[in-house]
Amino acid sequence: MATVSKKSLLRGMAVTILATVVLYGCKDFLSTAAEPQGTLDQTTLANRTGVEGSLIAAYRTLDCTDATSGNWGCAASNWVFGSVAADDSYKGSDGLDQPPINDIEGYHWGTPSAGTYLNVKWQITYEGVVRANSTLRLLKQVVASNPTEYSQTEAAQVAGEAIFLRAHYHFEAYRMWGNVPYYREDDVDFRKPNIDSAAVITEILKDLDSAIKVLPTSPRNGQKGRASQWTAKAYKGRVLTYAHQWAAAVTVFKDVVQNGPYALETSFDRVWSAYQDATNGPETIWAYQASSKDGEPNAANANYGERLNFPYSPSHFACCGFDPPSQNLVNQFKVDPVSGLPLSITAPATWNSDNNAFVAGNMTPVDPRLDWTVGRDGVPFKDWGPYSVAWVRDPVNGGPYMPKKIIHEQGSGAEATVGWQPQQQSSINIHLFRYADLLLMLAEAEVETGDLAGATALVNQIRTRAAQTAQGPGTDRASMAIPINDPRITWAVYKVGLYPVFADAATGRTAVQTERRLELAMEGQRLFDLRRYGTFIPVITGYLRGEGGGREDARRAYKLTAELPTARHRWYAIPDDQIQLSKVGGQDMLKQNTGW
Amino acid sequence: MERVLVGKHSRLNSGLRWLCSAAISLLFALAFAGTAFGQDVPITGTVVNAAGAPIPGVTVRVEGTDARTNTDANGVYRIVAPATGTLTFAHVGSKPQIQAIGGRRTVDVTMTNVTYLEEVVVTAYTEQRRADITGAVSSADMDQAKRQTNASVVKALDATVPGVTVQTSGSPGARSTVRIRGISSFQNNDPLYIVDGTPVQDSYVNFLNPEDIQSIQVLKDASAASIYGSRASNGVIVIETTKNGPVGPPRATLRVRTGVSSPTKGLDDILLTNSLDYWRVQEQRYINAGQPVPTNVYGDPNNPTVPNYTYADAPAILTKDAFGRIVTVDPSKYSYPNTLIEPASQGTNWWKTVFSSAPVSDYNLDVRGGGDANAYAVSFNYFDQQGTAAWNDYRRGSVRVNTSFNRSKLNFGENIALTVDRHYGGTGTFDDASGENGVLGKDILIQPIVSVYDISGVNFAGAKGVPGVNSSNPLKNAWDAKDNINKNNQVFGNVFGGYDVTPQFGLKSRLGFNLQELSFAGFSAPTPQNNEAQLGNGINENNSNTVDWTWSNTARYLKTISKASVDLLVGQEANSTVNRYLQGSINNLLNTGLDSRYIQDALADPTTKNVFSSGYRTALMSFFGKAGLNFADKYVASFTLRKDGSSNLGPDHRWGTFPAVGLGWRISNEGFLQNNRIFSDVMLRYGWGRTGNQNIPAGRIVSQFGGDRGDTFYDITGSNTTIQPGFRQASLGNPNLKWESNKSTNVGADMTLFNGMFNVVLDVFNRTTDDLLYDPRTPATAGIASPPIVNIGKMQNKGFDFSVGHAGSWWNASLNGSHYNNKIVSIDGVQTSFFGPIGTRIGNSTINQVGQPIGSFYGFIADGFFRDAADVAAHATQDGAAPGRIKFRDVNGDGVINSDDQTIIGSPHPKFTMGIDLGAHRGQWDASATIFGTYGNKIFENQMDFYVFQDFSSNVRKDLLANSWTPQNLNAKYPRLDITDKYSGVISSFYVKDGAYTRLRNLQVGYTLPSGARYLPGARVYVQGENIFTHTNYDGLDPAIPAGNFTGAAGDTRDQAMGVDVGVYPTNRIFSIGIVTSF
Repeated sequence: MATVSKKSLLRGMAVTILATVVLYGCKDFLSTAAEPQGTLDQTTLANRTGVEGSLIAAYRTLDCTDATSGNWGCAASNWVFGSVAADDSYKGSDGLDQPPINDIEGYHWGTPSAGTYLNVKWQITYEGVVRANSTLRLLKQVVASNPTEYSQTEAAQVAGEAIFLRAHYHFEAYRMWGNVPYYREDDVDFRKPNIDSAAVITEILKDLDSAIKVLPTSPRNGQKGRASQWTAKAYKGRVLTYAHQWAAAVTVFKDVVQNGPYALETSFDRVWSAYQDATNGPETIWAYQASSKDGEPNAANANYGERLNFPYSPSHFACCGFDPPSQNLVNQFKVDPVSGLPLSITAPATWNSDNNAFVAGNMTPVDPRLDWTVGRDGVPFKDWGPYSVAWVRDPVNGGPYMPKKIIHEQGSGAEATVGWQPQQQSSINIHLFRYADLLLMLAEAEVETGDLAGATALVNQIRTRAAQTAQGPGTDRASMAIPINDPRITWAVYKVGLYPVFADAATGRTAVQTERRLELAMEGQRLFDLRRYGTFIPVITGYLRGEGGGREDARRAYKLTAELPTARHRWYAIPDDQIQLSKVGGQDMLKQNTGW
Repeated sequence: MERVLVGKHSRLNSGLRWLCSAAISLLFALAFAGTAFGQDVPITGTVVNAAGAPIPGVTVRVEGTDARTNTDANGVYRIVAPATGTLTFAHVGSKPQIQAIGGRRTVDVTMTNVTYLEEVVVTAYTEQRRADITGAVSSADMDQAKRQTNASVVKALDATVPGVTVQTSGSPGARSTVRIRGISSFQNNDPLYIVDGTPVQDSYVNFLNPEDIQSIQVLKDASAASIYGSRASNGVIVIETTKNGPVGPPRATLRVRTGVSSPTKGLDDILLTNSLDYWRVQEQRYINAGQPVPTNVYGDPNNPTVPNYTYADAPAILTKDAFGRIVTVDPSKYSYPNTLIEPASQGTNWWKTVFSSAPVSDYNLDVRGGGDANAYAVSFNYFDQQGTAAWNDYRRGSVRVNTSFNRSKLNFGENIALTVDRHYGGTGTFDDASGENGVLGKDILIQPIVSVYDISGVNFAGAKGVPGVNSSNPLKNAWDAKDNINKNNQVFGNVFGGYDVTPQFGLKSRLGFNLQELSFAGFSAPTPQNNEAQLGNGINENNSNTVDWTWSNTARYLKTISKASVDLLVGQEANSTVNRYLQGSINNLLNTGLDSRYIQDALADPTTKNVFSSGYRTALMSFFGKAGLNFADKYVASFTLRKDGSSNLGPDHRWGTFPAVGLGWRISNEGFLQNNRIFSDVMLRYGWGRTGNQNIPAGRIVSQFGGDRGDTFYDITGSNTTIQPGFRQASLGNPNLKWESNKSTNVGADMTLFNGMFNVVLDVFNRTTDDLLYDPRTPATAGIASPPIVNIGKMQNKGFDFSVGHAGSWWNASLNGSHYNNKIVSIDGVQTSFFGPIGTRIGNSTINQVGQPIGSFYGFIADGFFRDAADVAAHATQDGAAPGRIKFRDVNGDGVINSDDQTIIGSPHPKFTMGIDLGAHRGQWDASATIFGTYGNKIFENQMDFYVFQDFSSNVRKDLLANSWTPQNLNAKYPRLDITDKYSGVISSFYVKDGAYTRLRNLQVGYTLPSGARYLPGARVYVQGENIFTHTNYDGLDPAIPAGNFTGAAGDTRDQAMGVDVGVYPTNRIFSIGIVTSF
């Protein structure tokens, strides 16, 4: 009897002890396994490294294309939304390739197909905002919990960069859609209603002013990719120009011109160049800092968003034939043989009559910027030998030309070595805002404020630089950019004339707008410029249906199905997808733009 | 978000973890203890059937102990048992017998055939009599399943088990998408497999040699499956391997099958193979569009000819004709890859170039036997199936050892399989690679004018110089990838021990393990002959290592008091999975030979080297119990309760409770049905229960941050060659994640009619999944971080399944059928729809919409073609409307065709699926056939984007020219040929086709050599054909289309992309011969 009790007692004790182990151990068994593997958490990042890394990530979305978007709809240059959708270029490629761009080119911006591209632009633009705001939140947390990580000044400078980036991304959204929601770091409701476009401008200016207050006058740490106080000031002038606040724009721009660090490059070839010594020159205000050979396995940090826009096989680049310059744009470069001024100004009825035959040996005098902007048959293609129409993927669909600014020089060594078609990718920086752009905006504002002499001088400053060099034979670097009258040039006649002082505001306006088109052609600015001028509808209608003796719908048959722009094209359609996702209680928080 | 979990003391934790599991087992052992009884004597006897013939392989057990044996080939057994004990005799297909020994030394037994309800099947951790099962449990007919030549046995389930659908491609070794009674969730709908008691989630099940499998039970409803609570939401498939052979000396069985497979249908049945025929279509596109007809390839439009060459690099060109076509070349200038010369072809049959017949062989040798206190089954398998696509091959070798030992009240043993499989061939030849990147897609995208080889006859030609073709030579693709290899090394099995404390009460512990190493090594070759030429080479490899173990401990108590019997089971289980994945790549190898394909700095361009690793771990802890009650074989009830804890879920919501109840009424045992002429045996069943799902990626309860060089890193210094690190939020965590729960109700009947002439099983079910684990999208203003996974949404599946069988004296037949109706009940209360994961050149054709089945097709309704200008004018405003183009319906009647007119245009879900099995035997001959059919499902024929609308100047259908719209052919099959028609090809019901088909899956004729035969006495030889005949209206390649491989942040989303034909490896038609012989 006694033994049995003892045994029972022992057994009971064992059960109790084990039960305790079970309860404790099993709890632990699950929670240990719940630990996520191979990721960072907020605690690890709550320090200087985290803040700086978060800020870097906010810069990265300047390209709009990153490893996560998986779509061609977005690129730093806005080539789809700013060039193809305007009169600078066509979609190109194969007729059926990337059908969303067909709809965008045809002004059918409300289709589900166009919506896929618009949605990616919206997503990545707001991802930029999210990253900037995350940086600001994290910075606040670090400053509060660990004051030794940053000096007060430096913390303010970091905040300034993030606020500037936030302003930039919202400005991108504004240029696309006008009426967009504005998000700051304390926002927690991601289904906020969009606000009126004028209110968006107010918010952007508010952020730019805060950034200007705290940013250093030269980029922090001497790192050229960072925004400085001058970047923000220049940008403020840009926003004021878009808002037609002319006087304020003139004041800000003049401050930048007189006191800022910027200047025009001496030669146009150095503006869009992959040579490291030409990168971030005096003309760069704000650029996506592309990099190749940086260890990234797909060259995703290179000019990834532009990669479709290269000549097709059998050229070195082998793909993909998108974004070919329009015939209308090519014709824009023709100049009056006597005055050297744009033919569109001196002969408005006939300047646009040339068709596909614009090849080497056509001795119509042209602005030398044509051959920095457009690849055309027989003309040296930077240092890649003569461009050939055989490099065009489908000339019937997209015409005989290809874009040239984004092409890296063979001698630059900037070409990527990894990823799909590495020969399309290079570390050529993508300009988001350059000094020539600023000067022409200042000219635009001066025309509107009545300073016609000032405006003329600025336009002529741009033209004088344009007259410095033209595309040379390109057998080596020295022969790539040569004087415009160099006898080695056998394929073209170049001429650039200067304007006499503009007679009136209308003349000045036309001259400035024409000069912007020539100088910034294929840089994704055109559609936004036209909207700002208020001339989008007549210009595009003329482009399609006839102006200056030529019409695009006769050159490219598919243009016949383009919708003629109307008031609703003032803004792009807000992606339907995002409107659906904005629903609260069945109500759309994002309101679609008028007409879509 | 707060960091919820801390893992500082990992060493201590891992110790505790083991202690925890060990402690639980000990708890069971300690908490219950008892005594034994003795006095054993040797017993022998013979087991015969009603006709007096000996039955081999009968399991003989000593009741109350685990002592057991099997009868030998002559039906004789020997066993040691207490003189006062009781013997039980069990054999599949026979009624179990119980014999009291009563001092006898010889116990002979006659066994009679069992009726359906008397079968014994393994479900829910133990064996059960069919008559005690109240849930929906179907057994696969293993003879039928094994007649199919596949690496995996699960592929045969859809023809053999009602309520189960299986989708698989013809690629050897391909995965199987098994769905039981519809779709439960927006993602991760694979069932749980229990192999010899060890749970495993595996979409291939290639580690199991089909010949080793003794039985498969499919637990279809929650009342049957909830004992496996966690992970049982999608149904459970219980697989038991063969554990023993007849008592006596080892008996070896050799099974050999060898055959030839070929695709059931070829693209050359559908597409053009002649260059000039192709040109006539293309030319018509230009003529109809009023565009100048290009002359650069086929020359004079009035007299088109195939040129001599499609492409030559400039230095090799000697003369060109008036159309700029190369007429003569200088072959001495040819050098690969710098100066290419590519001859044009009068017509390459690309299908025949890439696809052909291929051998398949399956060799099995097993040795089985045992004695009084042990049983063993050892088997060897080698399976080799070459793909019908070039250089695509699947090989598997496996060894299985199953042993068990009885020692008094103790029994123990193990079931272990070692499997090594190798899958050769590149991306695009595997099961779930599809679209343009697959070998099939490339076969459509290339034109007949492209030659297979260039003038060297050795190097591959490409489409360079052929306008519009952006694809590559599919044979070259296959060649380049021929050494790409997927390896799987796997050890799967368990060790177990049991202790029978008393005859009524037993304990069992089982440690299951699954050690798996998957690896891949791939090569990408330069393609200078393509329009989109790739010049560099590269290699990539990866290795994934998984250790998964499950320790389960159960106690079972059986008690019979008078007419009532009770069967109690309690148990505990712990499961852990740890995975680590390592991947690397490097480009521009100096030497691309197989022996130099390593990621080393000196072998390639070291700046292109890229390496990363990742991993995950999950754990589950479970407690469960089941009570089965049987009164007088009339009233049966079972109650199950399981509690599961999952590491994937929030700390406060980790534990889920999964109850189930099943009730059965064997109405035929009631007086009023006794001796009824029609209903010989009838059992009515009702089951209700809940199962769970926690199959989401690990670690999603906390927010995660990360970075990637291509996403968050940036060259802030402007160096153009260096990047600084950056971070962003990668995913949003949800600490409140809880179990997805699936409630199901099942009402069924098992019937034996007309005195055993028919066996009928009928089940009607209603399943509702609630708190769906799903990651609804957040607005872009919240960023691109993966949205939190939340418990939201509801889905319902209703349907029925049935089987009817008849076994005659020399023939048998069975029919099974099933139907389900899937419906999304709610998504998140706000959204009413979201798109599927599929992205094609024409967009996304599937949608998940409230009130509709998951993955419905969504687009415009095609209302024929515009007849003429008047028709265009009368119709709502439609972009690009013109005579001969497709007219889309103005669904909302607003006079404009736009996105608001898109609607549901079809469902990929079948309304009914069916399997028929027929068998007959006469003398030494036997024959059998299996037929499978699916009806009411639609296919979205995305391939039409290419072979009808000619995206990327792809090849086209043979009947395109003749059947396209013309003013004279208003009721044509296809719209007007028009190079400028970018409008007709948008997503619409024009792409939606009837996907029904009936297929003769298998036909086998066998002959068994007489036992007196001079050679191979008793051996059976057979010939069989698989997928010999298909009846379908589908005009694409193959109506049997598995969904492509799509994964979202919360897991596998392929169920949202069902029935979209983006080009899948076609089903194989296999003719084979085989022999089965024992010695």
